[in-house]
Amino acid sequence: MARFIAWRLVQFPLILAIIYLVTFLLAWVAPGSPFERAERKIDPMVLHQLQTQFHAEHWYQFLAYYPVRVITTGNFGPSMAYLGWSVNDVLASGLPVSVTLGLIAMTIACVGGCFIGVLAAVRRDGLLDYASLAIALTGISLPGFVAAGVLLTIFSDHLHWFPSGGWGSFSQLVLPSIALSLMPLAYVARLSRASMLDVLESDFVRTARAKGLSNTRVVWKHCFRIAFLPVFSYLGPAAAATLTGSFVVEQVFNLPGLGQHFVNAVTNRDQTLILGTVMVYSAFLLTLNLLVDIGYAFIDPRIDVTGN
Amino acid sequence: MFRLLLISLVLLGLFGALIAWSAGGSESPADFTFVNRGDHKTLDPGLMSWLQDIRVAYAFWEGLYTLDDETLQPIPGVSEKLDIDPTKKIYTFHLRPNARWTNGDPVTSADFVFSWRRILEQPGDYTFLHYYIQGAKEYEEAYASWQDKADQGPAITTIPPPDYGMVGVKAIDPHTLQVTLRNPTPFFLSLCAFPPFFPLHEPSMRSFARLDEKTGRVASYDQGFTRPPYLVSNGPYRLAEWTFKRNLRMIASDYYWNKSAVHLRIIDEPVIEDSLAAVRAYMSGRVDWVSWVDEDLIGQMRTAGGYPDLHLFESFGTYFYVLNCLPTLPDGRKNPLADARVRQALAMSIDKQAVVGTATRAGQHVAADFMPTGVFSDYPSPKGLPFDIAKARALLADAGYPNGKGFPPMQILFNKEMQQHVDIALMMRSQWKENLGIDTDIQQVEIKVFGARLHARDYAIARASWTGDYPDPTTFTDKFRSDNDDNNAGWANPQYDALCDAAETKTDPAERMRTLAQAEGLLLDQAAIIPLYRYVDAYLFRPQIQGIHLDTRDMVMFQAIYKTGVNSSASSHARASTPFTPILALPLSTWGGDKRVNSFATGSVLPTR
Amino acid sequence: MIEVAPNFSRRFFADGRVRLGGGLLLLMLMICVLTLPFTIPSGGMFYYDRQDRTASQVGPQLSPVWMAFGTDRLGHGLLSRCMVGGAISLTVGVAAATVSVMLGVGVGLLAGYCGGWIDNLLMRTVDVLFGLPYILLVVLLKVAIEEPMKKYLFHGVGPAANLVVLFTAIGLVSWLEMARVIRGQVLSLRTLPFIEAAYAAGIGPGRIFLRHLLPNLVGPITVYATLTIPQAILQESFLSFLGVGVQPPLPTWGSLAADGLMPALNPIHSSWWLLVFPCTLLAMTLLSLNFLGDGLRDLFDPKRIAK
Repeated sequence: MARFIAWRLVQFPLILAIIYLVTFLLAWVAPGSPFERAERKIDPMVLHQLQTQFHAEHWYQFLAYYPVRVITTGNFGPSMAYLGWSVNDVLASGLPVSVTLGLIAMTIACVGGCFIGVLAAVRRDGLLDYASLAIALTGISLPGFVAAGVLLTIFSDHLHWFPSGGWGSFSQLVLPSIALSLMPLAYVARLSRASMLDVLESDFVRTARAKGLSNTRVVWKHCFRIAFLPVFSYLGPAAAATLTGSFVVEQVFNLPGLGQHFVNAVTNRDQTLILGTVMVYSAFLLTLNLLVDIGYAFIDPRIDVTGN
Repeated sequence: MFRLLLISLVLLGLFGALIAWSAGGSESPADFTFVNRGDHKTLDPGLMSWLQDIRVAYAFWEGLYTLDDETLQPIPGVSEKLDIDPTKKIYTFHLRPNARWTNGDPVTSADFVFSWRRILEQPGDYTFLHYYIQGAKEYEEAYASWQDKADQGPAITTIPPPDYGMVGVKAIDPHTLQVTLRNPTPFFLSLCAFPPFFPLHEPSMRSFARLDEKTGRVASYDQGFTRPPYLVSNGPYRLAEWTFKRNLRMIASDYYWNKSAVHLRIIDEPVIEDSLAAVRAYMSGRVDWVSWVDEDLIGQMRTAGGYPDLHLFESFGTYFYVLNCLPTLPDGRKNPLADARVRQALAMSIDKQAVVGTATRAGQHVAADFMPTGVFSDYPSPKGLPFDIAKARALLADAGYPNGKGFPPMQILFNKEMQQHVDIALMMRSQWKENLGIDTDIQQVEIKVFGARLHARDYAIARASWTGDYPDPTTFTDKFRSDNDDNNAGWANPQYDALCDAAETKTDPAERMRTLAQAEGLLLDQAAIIPLYRYVDAYLFRPQIQGIHLDTRDMVMFQAIYKTGVNSSASSHARASTPFTPILALPLSTWGGDKRVNSFATGSVLPTR
Repeated sequence: MIEVAPNFSRRFFADGRVRLGGGLLLLMLMICVLTLPFTIPSGGMFYYDRQDRTASQVGPQLSPVWMAFGTDRLGHGLLSRCMVGGAISLTVGVAAATVSVMLGVGVGLLAGYCGGWIDNLLMRTVDVLFGLPYILLVVLLKVAIEEPMKKYLFHGVGPAANLVVLFTAIGLVSWLEMARVIRGQVLSLRTLPFIEAAYAAGIGPGRIFLRHLLPNLVGPITVYATLTIPQAILQESFLSFLGVGVQPPLPTWGSLAADGLMPALNPIHSSWWLLVFPCTLLAMTLLSLNFLGDGLRDLFDPKRIAK
């Protein structure tokens, strides 16, 4: 096990480096410059000065300057669109908000999704199966911006139960985390239903039932642990995406999180910030995937992760 | 079971730590909260060019002249007394002795010289405004070429730098500044009240200087100097706090010479970039003044029968369509729009009233001309081309495309940041098809791609807009000079250039205005652009707020704002960034949403004029 | 030989989800396609781009039939736009899923069958691609493909070219999960005796792919293809929300929802029809696709084949 973890950790820097280079290539090739404006043409002297200042005039200048600093000091450099702020400033300001929101959303998604999925599996092909699944699948049957907007309109504009946005108090957490949890909840519900169905029809369950164990006990104590596995492996990438924030939710609810930067940095062609956000996302993804693989061993000792 | 408990405890602990980390410090509530037009790009007066930055620059700095809060005309600021010589080219400013920086240092003429010299050596978007000063342009070019030569040579160059003495800016003594202009410039005092002409406090910037290796001179200043606690400014307010994407707080400066005239003590500017979110925040009482409302939302408010707190005013900007006047299109084909008759046909076949009336809902007025009418009383605005379908068809046939036959398909380029651009493009397309029989395609691109293609003249027809920088018609007419980089149309007309040059030398202001109007008339008659409407801006503020005056230039002097009626401390729902209160002590009322302060009463629609 | 359960077709039509999902989907498809002859020609009352300036942002009413779903700001009838939008959304979804399937199956097959360093390289590439931000990829892909397309842009083909670019870009970022799943399937199939036998008998890999492996992969391929379509449609709606989706005036349900969001959900004056109709149609279609996919997954599950 230790060897497995070590081998995976060794691969981290290599994969991250490749992602960095590919992202840099894509961002460099995109037309448009972070310093230009739509209405006024930028003075060529000013443009040249800015490019020199940010080491962004030629691709080799960029690659010679920034990656070394990222590796040695963890500093991603200054943001090209937000003059005067460094990428680390931007990440540090947005990450806590996104992670807090993401954790709550993942909890809702996990708990709610598993509950609905198991319920649907146990009452298979009944009304409850279809109804609960239809509700759960709303998350992937409606665009995220519609769901978030509708939640805001109903619960804030009309009912006045929650404030309309911003960040700083508990009541401002509720609506955005529900909105954020809808999509993972749908996947978790669907996955847990499918795998629960599989488990319910397997041999050992029949044995347990034959032994006289009550249905609820059978379902939750024995089956769920195994049925949870596919859900657990989905949680890795799902958490990585959710914890780094969602552009839609942050825009609708006016939250100072990290998700907006994933899109805005691309729109602004802010190359250093694009690289910073991508690195954060990839680091989250790789770490969470590793944690999921390790967690497998705890959940079901029968599985040997290392031998895959 | 134990493992489950352990994991949940760890998560809970993590969660609590995150909340504490993300919430931010506790603060006293602000006296006044407003939303600006987007997030700040920079607070460096030498580099700023976006409206939201310029707006707060007036709070933090004061130039030789400042703006009167009601009329926005230049009034004495740091300069107490002014002498102008008979040739109207030499201005001698006498600075007031009690003008101070926020760290107590007196404001001297050296601060102005430093700032004005710096903007020539480290050019920004508005460096060109300094060209009215004698020798400024020459100095900037000489310095830039000296820099280039030094870059090619060994470290610490031996070539002497150009002499700043050639520039007509002299600090005669610490409280006297003498400026020599190239030509008499009637709006020079307005320029002095504009951020590129504000003074800068050199000692506090020194540690942020980035030196050029080859010349030993400052190449640029790290923007860290604009962040608290380093920023030293000389205006009515000082920068107390600036957190990224969250809040900017300004507190009245104790060192401002006119501090008794400053009413509000603490002003907060939360960052709300989405217009609908800003309006919601306003409606719930979180915000006192919204300084920008999306045109779509203004339209909604007017459709709903009016919103009492909505104040509309015309802006110093025009929305227009620009036509590519180069001989060939970007893909190599011959450009039919190079023929003025084709352009005139396109311009005359649009029913602007219908387009503006349907696609825009903020009550914008149709613009027949480019430079907004009525802003300058002595400017005889040209009439522009009329709406005449028959004449348009005749012109098109004349040019060789009767009934649109043989006219190559063109693309209308625009950016998709606003629904309006789409709607207008669709309407233009259908009108051209109906009235002239020509086919056009829509192309919607991202703003960066749009900007790049517009400047590279890689389009056939594109939407464009222009807002004036300073109170003179040349801010509009100069744009279409053949030597101007901002001339997106690629329109080169020697007669136009001659008229613009002639206007520069005229001494009689009325004659000068007439010449400029003639030039604009030529631009419109040759249909290099099709003006559509004049921009409308909107503010949202309640009747208790006084001191916010509607002006075309969309600028408000913060020191003049005050609240009446309600006690001037923050309303109960205005928050900056409050920490999470511990769960146990959470009163139930905090869970409720913000109460609506204003009921949505049906009021009359406010006229724009 | 295809290893499918006996009585497959009977079970197919008996499964509730398949019936519900498939039925609803078919209904949507038929309505959208059958109305095309009315909504496409530019002269008719139901033309999707017909702008009636006098009927701007009017609520739904039955008397002029084309205003049954209401109108938008330019006076477009929402009914026609929803119909055309449905056809285009489904086209984009299916086309993107096709691109996705072709790439995913190709890569998965190759990785699973060849094993060794090819497998390692391909799967690490998939890992890297998973780590890249989706929006960046799509925007850049669009731009990269659009440039050469622009050279060959002729009027009339213009909007179609944009659609091609769009679904190619979406398809190119959606194949990753399919590749992983197919690889897993191939890995487990590879060890089966009949494959070993074929290999030993000297049958080339191409024939093994076509005649032995592919038929057994029909199950997962169908399931994931069906489940990729709603994903693609949702991704297209997100791109429309950002403004880099389909070019106007072509509507899709996603772009109608994105455009209708502000007029419908603002607290000042709500034009609810601009959001409700496109979203209801969208939700019904996507739900039915998801149900269909789930039903198919149940059907193709090898564990249930034994019953």
